[in-house]
Amino acid sequence: MTMANLTVEPPPAAAPEAAAPAPVPRRLRERDTVPSALRPTRAGRLLRGVLLTAASLVTVFPFYAMLVLSLKPGAAVSLPGSLLPWNLSGSSYSAVLDAQDVPRWLLNTLVYSLVSVVGVLVLASLAGYAFAKKRFRGREAMFWSFLSMVMVPYHVTMIPTFIMMAKIGGVDTYWGLIIPTLANAQAVFLMRQFIKDLPDEMFEAARLDGCSELRIFTSIVLPLLKPILATLGTFVFLWHWNDFLWPLIMGQSSDMRTLTVGIASLQQQQVPLSQVLAGSVIAFVPIFAAYMVGQQYFTEGVTGSAVKG
Amino acid sequence: MAAVAERTTRPHNRRGPHARREARIGLLFVLPCFLLFLAFRFGPGIAGLVLGFTDYTVGDSTHFTGLANFQRMVHDPLFWSSLRVTVIYSVLAVPFTILASLGLALLTRRAFRGSRLFRSIFFLPVVTSLILASTVFIWIFSSKGPWSELMGLAGLPDQAWLTDSALVLPALAIVGIWSRCGYGMLILLARLQDVPRELEEAALMDGAGAFQRFRYIVAPQLRPAFFFLAVIETTNSFQIFDAVYVMTGGGPANASYSLVYQLYDAGFKYMDLGYASALGCVLFVLTVVVALVQRLVLGKEK
Repeated sequence: MTMANLTVEPPPAAAPEAAAPAPVPRRLRERDTVPSALRPTRAGRLLRGVLLTAASLVTVFPFYAMLVLSLKPGAAVSLPGSLLPWNLSGSSYSAVLDAQDVPRWLLNTLVYSLVSVVGVLVLASLAGYAFAKKRFRGREAMFWSFLSMVMVPYHVTMIPTFIMMAKIGGVDTYWGLIIPTLANAQAVFLMRQFIKDLPDEMFEAARLDGCSELRIFTSIVLPLLKPILATLGTFVFLWHWNDFLWPLIMGQSSDMRTLTVGIASLQQQQVPLSQVLAGSVIAFVPIFAAYMVGQQYFTEGVTGSAVKG
Repeated sequence: MAAVAERTTRPHNRRGPHARREARIGLLFVLPCFLLFLAFRFGPGIAGLVLGFTDYTVGDSTHFTGLANFQRMVHDPLFWSSLRVTVIYSVLAVPFTILASLGLALLTRRAFRGSRLFRSIFFLPVVTSLILASTVFIWIFSSKGPWSELMGLAGLPDQAWLTDSALVLPALAIVGIWSRCGYGMLILLARLQDVPRELEEAALMDGAGAFQRFRYIVAPQLRPAFFFLAVIETTNSFQIFDAVYVMTGGGPANASYSLVYQLYDAGFKYMDLGYASALGCVLFVLTVVVALVQRLVLGKEK
């Protein structure tokens, strides 16, 4: 098969030089990037297409079912019928929005995610810059104490943090929920790693021109950090949006629940399936929209942390 | 540690006011983050491990009880059951997640029309909260759901997976694989970009088939990524909680009652925070063991 592929490939035709129009830029295809010998045959491409389509259907099915069933109040009746996209009605959405605290939970989730993103980005970029470019007494000790916590599971620190918050009245408050999550060691590592690679000369030049340190940080360092800030910000946002256990133990009243905690509580209160799913769709839409816009950052965050970690 | 710090800082302090200013600024920039870290990660991390040796409950006075929590654990059938559930879940979920990741990575390896779309589809479950996904998986695995429908077509009795103690962990593992394989795919794709194309072409010229090329050229290059994934996915699966909380509540008959579920129950339902912390210590030890095994295996490689 591979040999066939080799011989079938026509020799590159000599381009008619005069008539050749300017090459139209287009997305790279397999044909452009992979040498002919390694390109799959027609049968290989067909097989790959079939497998990919099957895998995609399996991946997407839960999302599809979530959406369609949320639009079918009155419980899923007979199986094949219930998945077909007709006889739809939005009444589960109005029911879950009216009867439950969904809008409040959405607000809580937004506050939890956005405040944490801003806080983590500010704190981690300042600390990362200092760890990467400044020399001061105790730097190594501090950095090693950050590193030492990598192996300790979140569940171990969670219990004493909860006790502490219970003692100082932080349970069931926004600040109690948010402040502990601002101490994000991974974010500092990532920042430090990134800032280390920035050239020192730029900072030196600015310093010689009489720039204050804060000025150097805000007008030179931060703009250079844009890509990593975007990546890290997306990641922290996502992590907080999906976080469950910490908001679960910190949000005791219904008013302080986040969406994940609220939807889990709907599930336990025997609310009709279509309403639970409507709540899930409402919680999923913002993430989906963000994912569509910032896919690049989502994926860079994953590979970046893996390559560096 | 202090010695290291002094060695790096002292020569610069001698340079005079500029270095002193730099040190002051550095400290100032680090301090907010470091104090938060001390208060909410480092301190609680140490405290969490120490609490495991106490009988801390809310309200009562606390005593240092040495190994009492761990002795209690040894005689606690629920602990052994939750440990077994956690390990079986990991054994079911981790290998298949990595295999599925590999399959997806190889299928979307080259840039072809639609390859980016497929990658985004496979990664979508990773960014979706397991709580949200679980609400629909409850239905998928229910006796009215598509799984039992498929079973029915195959002539098997319809079955609610989540209420059968033999099937509940496989069902949770399927959810785990579904939600995590896109992550593994991305990690492996990043590594696949580094496989030298010339090597593959040379192997092809020598008549190596697709499987041989994978076995001898591609797979060795992927080794570090496999180890990375094995560690990440194993520690991740040790911490299974979200899906259990929503889909099964630990049931049926504790068949999905995992270690972190027990930690949550002991700590925040029964307010037995000392015992919960001891369970946290076990989780910590498990995590360290996985990392050490990885270190040993990788060390042997070099």
